[in-house]
Amino acid sequence: MNKDKLKIGIYELTGCAGCALLITDCEMELIDIFNAADIQSFLMVKSDNIDGELDIALVEGSVTTEKEIEELKDIRERAKVVVAFGLCASVGGIQARFGNKEWKENYKKIYGDIEMTHTRAVQSKPIDAYIDVDLYLPGCPVGKEQFLHFFTRVLKGSPPEKYPRPVCVTCKYNENDCLLNKGIPCLGPLTADGCGSICPNYNLPCTGCWGPVEGANPYSEFFLLKEKGFDIEAIKKLMSNYAGTKLAEFFEQFRKESK
Amino acid sequence: MKIVKLKKSNLFLFLEIISKEADLWAPVKKSPDKHIFEVIEDFSKINLDYTRTILPPKKIMLPANFNMFRASSTEYTPDFSHVNKKIIFGIHPCDIHALVTMDKFYSHEYNDPYYQRARDNTLILGHSCWPDEYCLCKSTHTHVVEEGYDLFFTDLEDTYVVWIGSSRGDDLIRLKPELFDEDLTDKDIQKFSKRREERDKAFAKDINFEAMPDLMELKYQSPLWDKLGEACLACGSCSNVCPTCNCYNVEDKPILGKNCSNISRCWDSCTLENYSGVAGGENFREKRSDRLKLFYTHKLQSYISKYGKPACVGCGRCIVTCPVDINVYTVSKSLDGEEVDTFWNRLSKEVTK
Amino acid sequence: MNGENKIKAPLNPFQPEPARIVRTYPLTDDVKFFQIRIVDMNKALSFQYQTGQFAMISVLGAGEAPFSISSTPSRPGLLEFCIRKAGTVTNALFQMKENDLIGLRGPYGNTFPVKKMKGKDIMIVMGGLGAAPLRSVLLYLLDNRDQFGRVMLLHGAKRPTEMLLREEFFSLKEREDLECYLTVDEDDTGEWPEDVGLVTQLFKKLGTINPENTFSLVCGPPIMYKFVLEEILKLDIPKDQILMTLERRMKCGVGKCGHCAIDYIYTCLDGPVFTYWDVIHMRELI
Ligand SMILES: Cc1cc2nc3c(=O)[nH]c(=O)nc-3n(C[C@H](O)[C@H](O)[C@H](O)COP(=O)(O)OP(=O)(O)OC[C@H]3O[C@@H](n4cnc5c(N)ncnc54)[C@H](O)[C@@H]3O)c2cc1C
Ligand code: SF4
Ligand code: SF4
Ligand code: SF4
Ligand code: SF4
Ligand code: SF4
Ligand code: FES
Repeated sequence: MNKDKLKIGIYELTGCAGCALLITDCEMELIDIFNAADIQSFLMVKSDNIDGELDIALVEGSVTTEKEIEELKDIRERAKVVVAFGLCASVGGIQARFGNKEWKENYKKIYGDIEMTHTRAVQSKPIDAYIDVDLYLPGCPVGKEQFLHFFTRVLKGSPPEKYPRPVCVTCKYNENDCLLNKGIPCLGPLTADGCGSICPNYNLPCTGCWGPVEGANPYSEFFLLKEKGFDIEAIKKLMSNYAGTKLAEFFEQFRKESK
Repeated sequence: MKIVKLKKSNLFLFLEIISKEADLWAPVKKSPDKHIFEVIEDFSKINLDYTRTILPPKKIMLPANFNMFRASSTEYTPDFSHVNKKIIFGIHPCDIHALVTMDKFYSHEYNDPYYQRARDNTLILGHSCWPDEYCLCKSTHTHVVEEGYDLFFTDLEDTYVVWIGSSRGDDLIRLKPELFDEDLTDKDIQKFSKRREERDKAFAKDINFEAMPDLMELKYQSPLWDKLGEACLACGSCSNVCPTCNCYNVEDKPILGKNCSNISRCWDSCTLENYSGVAGGENFREKRSDRLKLFYTHKLQSYISKYGKPACVGCGRCIVTCPVDINVYTVSKSLDGEEVDTFWNRLSKEVTK
Repeated sequence: MNGENKIKAPLNPFQPEPARIVRTYPLTDDVKFFQIRIVDMNKALSFQYQTGQFAMISVLGAGEAPFSISSTPSRPGLLEFCIRKAGTVTNALFQMKENDLIGLRGPYGNTFPVKKMKGKDIMIVMGGLGAAPLRSVLLYLLDNRDQFGRVMLLHGAKRPTEMLLREEFFSLKEREDLECYLTVDEDDTGEWPEDVGLVTQLFKKLGTINPENTFSLVCGPPIMYKFVLEEILKLDIPKDQILMTLERRMKCGVGKCGHCAIDYIYTCLDGPVFTYWDVIHMRELI
């Protein structure tokens, strides 16, 4: 029956499940989605899931346990195309913002010396830390319009052309007067577009929840915020909040330089 | 040129008459320092006490996103749904100049029907303005208009002096000729000239615009560009707000469950990283400084060689928009050898510290 | 907005025409040959192009990209393209089969100056995908052979399997009115009957060149340009008689989207064919 439809699996690792939930939230389009694709596995919405060969796997969440590493590798083996679905899968999410040392300290602080029985926790990382990822669709959660465009293109066999742009682009389309110029620490220039610049539309600064955009200049933004009077630690916190592991290199380099 | 007078108290009546069959776009105040062009339902919302809107009127001709075609494999049906009868009221000389530049650009060699049709259906009703600290139009010689408008309203306290710039403008006047007075008194003319003189003196900033083409050439390899590149956030705002930036990207947006697509067009900017990327991962302008060179070549040196005219109309939008002070003013001044107090200058000192 | 619009262009220069893939087959691992015909017969006939020009090809659901026309205007009817798999649009094109529909618009860009080239000796140097635009002019020259002096062709590829249209070039070698030399950097098949070595080594086979009377047309990967141009300059061919094509990102082909700009030159309108003299005077390329 579903012979010529693409086989799709939607998987959740560690995250808030918001991205998977977003798919179910596409009420008007849900039937079209299920008609257009053969959804083989989607734990959130159906029980008769099959773990077989896939054309496309959407993976949500970051990798935080050894079991998840295995699961992920298995998905990679079964799927022709793996999509990092959402911020956590793409960059590691909030849970990946700590360096290895801090992670260990934090882990100990919270869990003490408890031994986990079924699996062992590892430092949170984006899925591309373990497997090759074909496509990325960031967002916390992924934007509906963005998802539908992406999904439709993928079904056609042509994922959208990669064309990273920061939140500022949409923010200007929406005619917001720039918050940075008013001394409000907006992360728009560092953050991938896709949310519709929803925060600046309401006069709230972008906090970066779509994750770092390619081609950004964190260096300049850092000093800009510093010059505007913000505390260095506060800026670091702000910038690394949703950057997962992706700004680690920047901060690492930065740490070296400031020493 | 025909010149008439309109009592200020009759303005809304006139606008009401002329906008019966067209969308009236005019500046509206959104917050203390934010004006935007909007379709007017309620005339009292019109706010003429403004200097510049966040986005220029180019958005009224070609929206930031619109569909060019509804496409199936057998047919590409053009979509002109962004085109309808429009009147733009309250547009300032700099923005009118920008439209004239756009007219030339979009009809150069090939006619862009998406622009052309929108433009042909739009009447331009200009309005006088007073420079603020960022206006540069006197330097760019775009502070007065000779063409590109249908009517132009100059504010003389209780009356407007209205210049009729086209036969379409004249037709508007004829819809209610009794509102207009054809006899300009000597006093009116005096007032008009005095206003003009005083406005000419009111410009706080000026740049040596004539020298820029040569300076761009001479300083093409200057370390200035590296400094600018270091600070640029590659946010694209300068292009988006600039009334003469026209670059765009095209995307095929298939419709879920159907075998057709919307071919959609959206504004683009040469300051964004992937602007000059091509297949194979090559990017001709990987460096931000190289991308800014293109931007300023267009704004300060030459638009496309055929026009022999730079594209900047001095509206000052890049000055109020760029978070790191990269704008036509600071770049021109620096090219001219002046030290300017800017974030990007301070940042480069931070580096050498 | 004054006066009559003098532009003689289609009403909507962005509008693709449905076109059919008549034939397609692989040329190398990642390059395919496409023969395409515009479905509407009248429009097919009114598609008049010249050598060096390009067309925009679109695939529904994938997008649009520019491709050099590889066929010659002297053989009207079908349009031919050599297309390398490079990304979104080309991947989608590679999935398509004979009889499938695509969108096509053009022709765009400037042309090789065949009028100026009349009576002159012509030296064509191609490498890799450079064969795509140069095949058009080569076939044109051969179809109008009596109008030109010597016609020389130097074609280089990395390996025998990577030489585009090699069968066609083999048969061209038979022609007495064409000096045709083919070479590969490395022969991994052991069956390559022609030269082995870099394309620059072929120059010595050409004998004496009359530089003032020679036009040289070059197209290939960036690395090839560098070395080939050195050789050509050694021959003292005037810089404005050396022609090359430039590749840029292109979204419209008609001077509107801005992507192909080099300073204030728009590659899609003022190019893609440039003289070496033009190129060394482009600030951005230095
Ligand atoms: C005048 C002209 C003539 C041409 N003639 C031919 C021809 O005859 N034959 C031919 O095969 N080609 C030709 N080309 C090249 C061809 O147009 C491109 O290869 C084509 O655009 C590929 O389209 P695509 O959609 O398949 O690739 P795209 O999906 O557009 O892939 C390339 C794009 O993806 C992006 N991209 C991909 N990877 C990266 C990365 N690692 N880093 C940054 N960005 C990346 C870039 O933005 C780039 O523009 C010609 C080009 C021009 C300008
Ligand atoms: S408000 Fe934020 S997102 Fe908007 S333009 Fe300014 S920095 Fe960019
Ligand atoms: S730049 Fe000139 S024309 Fe524009 S608003 Fe300022 S004074 Fe008026
Ligand atoms: S110059 Fe300024 S406004 Fe333009 S892209 Fe750079 S930071 Fe953004
Ligand atoms: S470059 Fe700046 S001042 Fe000049 S027209 Fe553009 S936005 Fe206005
Ligand atoms: S300055 Fe940049 S964005 Fe603006 S028109 Fe020129 S190339 Fe396009
Ligand atoms: S390709 Fe659009 S301007 Fe040249």
